[in-house]
Amino acid sequence: MDFSLSDEQVLLRDSAERFVREEYKLDARRRLVAAGDPISAEHWRQYAELGWLALPIPEDVGGLGGSFVDLMVLMVALGSGCVLEPYIPNLVLCAPILDRSPARSLLGAVADGSLRLALAHDEAGDRFNLAGPRTTQATAAGDGFLLTGAKTLVLGGPSADRFIVSATITGEPACSLFLVHRDQVEDQVEQALSRYPLIDGTWAADLSLSVEVSADALIVRSDRATALLDEAIDRATLAYLAEAVGSMETCLEICSAYLKIRKQFGQAIGKFQALQHILAEMFVEAQEARSILYQALSQIGADASLRRRAVSAAKIVIGQASQIISRQGVQLHGGYGVTDEYPISHHFKRLMVIEKLFGDIEHHTTRFAGTAPGLQAPDSSPAA
Amino acid sequence: MQLEFDAFHQAFREEIRAFVRENLPPEMARRQKQLSFPGNRSDILEWMRILHRRRWSVPNWPVEYGGTNWTPLQHFIFERESQEADAPGLFRGGTHMVGPVIYTFGSEDQKSKFLPAIREGRFSWAQGFSEPGAGSDLSSLRTTALLRGDRYVVNGQKIWTSGAHLSAWGYFLVRTDTDVKPQNGVSLLLIDLATPGITIRQIPQIDGDAHLCEVFLENVEVPAENLVGKEGAGWTYGKFLLDNERTFSSFIYWNIRELRKAKEIAQRETMDGTPLAQLPTFRARLAQAEARVLALEWSVLRVLAQEARPHKLSVIASALKLRGSELQQLITELQVDLLGARSLRFYAPSETEQLQSPDDAFWPDYVPGKTGIALITRAASIYGGSRQVQRNLIAKHAFGL
Repeated sequence: MDFSLSDEQVLLRDSAERFVREEYKLDARRRLVAAGDPISAEHWRQYAELGWLALPIPEDVGGLGGSFVDLMVLMVALGSGCVLEPYIPNLVLCAPILDRSPARSLLGAVADGSLRLALAHDEAGDRFNLAGPRTTQATAAGDGFLLTGAKTLVLGGPSADRFIVSATITGEPACSLFLVHRDQVEDQVEQALSRYPLIDGTWAADLSLSVEVSADALIVRSDRATALLDEAIDRATLAYLAEAVGSMETCLEICSAYLKIRKQFGQAIGKFQALQHILAEMFVEAQEARSILYQALSQIGADASLRRRAVSAAKIVIGQASQIISRQGVQLHGGYGVTDEYPISHHFKRLMVIEKLFGDIEHHTTRFAGTAPGLQAPDSSPAA
Repeated sequence: MQLEFDAFHQAFREEIRAFVRENLPPEMARRQKQLSFPGNRSDILEWMRILHRRRWSVPNWPVEYGGTNWTPLQHFIFERESQEADAPGLFRGGTHMVGPVIYTFGSEDQKSKFLPAIREGRFSWAQGFSEPGAGSDLSSLRTTALLRGDRYVVNGQKIWTSGAHLSAWGYFLVRTDTDVKPQNGVSLLLIDLATPGITIRQIPQIDGDAHLCEVFLENVEVPAENLVGKEGAGWTYGKFLLDNERTFSSFIYWNIRELRKAKEIAQRETMDGTPLAQLPTFRARLAQAEARVLALEWSVLRVLAQEARPHKLSVIASALKLRGSELQQLITELQVDLLGARSLRFYAPSETEQLQSPDDAFWPDYVPGKTGIALITRAASIYGGSRQVQRNLIAKHAFGL
């Protein structure tokens, strides 16, 4: 085993850390959030220039063909700045789906920053069961389909040019995936796209669909769609967890610096053992978080049951670590911790979002228990 | 031991219930239910005026100042039933903090000027205690008030002055003598917040709200008659004022109400068609929270019934504060967990007050506001003596460590 980074990975990390230093100082981040734009076009251009948008895209369609480990290196570094750009919704969730569809030639435009994507999959009542049947319907209409239904929590939706929409073709047992232009969605229903910020300043949208699309909009048929979605969601989940690790490690730096400068009772508060122990406890959590991230990385290319098990384990450990680190991080800051004017509250909310996206601790505990030796229900098969 | 409410208190409970049912405007109750914390300030004052018509707006005050002769259990019932019906609370900055200080230590002029205003819910008060360099260590406060003729000239800076931007007056701890031990030179001053030289800045918060404030005081001239009691006794009055609320820091009534809301969410949110309240994990978490709330409620009752105890009351108050704030956080986290990914949407404070449909497929009425409350409730283990300070107090005063 060797956990050291390659020279290229070091360069990648350094460029991302520089970007965070230059573009994501606290004041700059607060201005971006206050501006209320779902995306900074300037930042997205920089992402393209720095090669980050091309990184996970195959070389034959204009990408760099980077590995998932490369992606992790980037996400940990970006996580340290709580960046706002919808990188994961575009590059980790949608791009791999497109890559295995007849529309893969569009990936060049994703890599150069001229095309943005979002996955419209969540529906009311899902509660993290993203593999369940979709109520959004695709009924035959002319040569194509009529898509009707409603989607929620479409991450990066407000800044997307096209949506990958999951819908059930009449008579089929599972959903299929359709590529739909934003204009098509917006032209057909009044207020078809309702956008809103999440608590961390990133953006999502609800879609109200009543859209006629041509036959070639169907990019992944139901026989493959569920497995493909499952894999894309697991990979996106892991990318978010890498961001969380970067965020948590930064929380430790922020808190340790604060304990040294904040004085009460005539001394730096870091001199108080009660607070030292809190920071030490946070340190242990951060160590374990990075370890379980590596564990999951080792299984991300494995078959579905191993991959799901590994991602759920990471989601549990990192979720619990991020709760402890963010909550104690605020506590160590006293009243300043609950203001928007100190970075710890920004990390708190980013970590809370990551903990809840694509299944919370509860959900992944159930999923993990279903695969853990000795914990399966008597009637469940190990590969389920 | 007598472990039940007697007939007198049972009857009183019915009286409170009937009053609230007949007098609480439904819109106010709806806003209060959705918003919860800190509550809409104009609703709180309006509720004070409604209570005043029944002479219940300052129930904890002596009768001569418009209060009641209620037993401790009657106070408990009043608070509990009010919260149960989603009524706004009393304006405690007036009723429980500065009011009792004024009628106990204030001048006759101060009593006649300020007590009726508090009683009738005319305006709200802000508390100017903490400073940027004096939080947990309040005794190191540096804001000065120096006597020049018949006025004090005040200079300094206060922080966490909740609601200062909506308040007409503030009660401030200031240093009137800089030559003595830190605790001795502090006085309590009532300051009209419209006085020239006062600048109020709202601090943007983790939940998107901004009711915590910084107050800058630059050569603010305050009439000497606004000094409460004696110069240099501010520390005693400040402690008296904070000590007045021994049991309230448990947030018991709030915890009971928010747990009820959590259970409502658990009935309405489903997974694969099953209400979350029926799932083993959430069922266990809700049940454990309820057991802890029950214990806290009986801890409060023991204090209210003046049980003989081996420890100083302040030690019990610290225990109530510790467990109460823990439960505030645990219950609001539970609400957020029940909402799942729906909890991630940001609602501006103004949006959380707007009418939401209970039938909205994605964003029903129990969603807005919950996450914001969970976020700001991180402060529950910080304000009013942080978790760490409370633990130090128990170690010191209960065990002499």
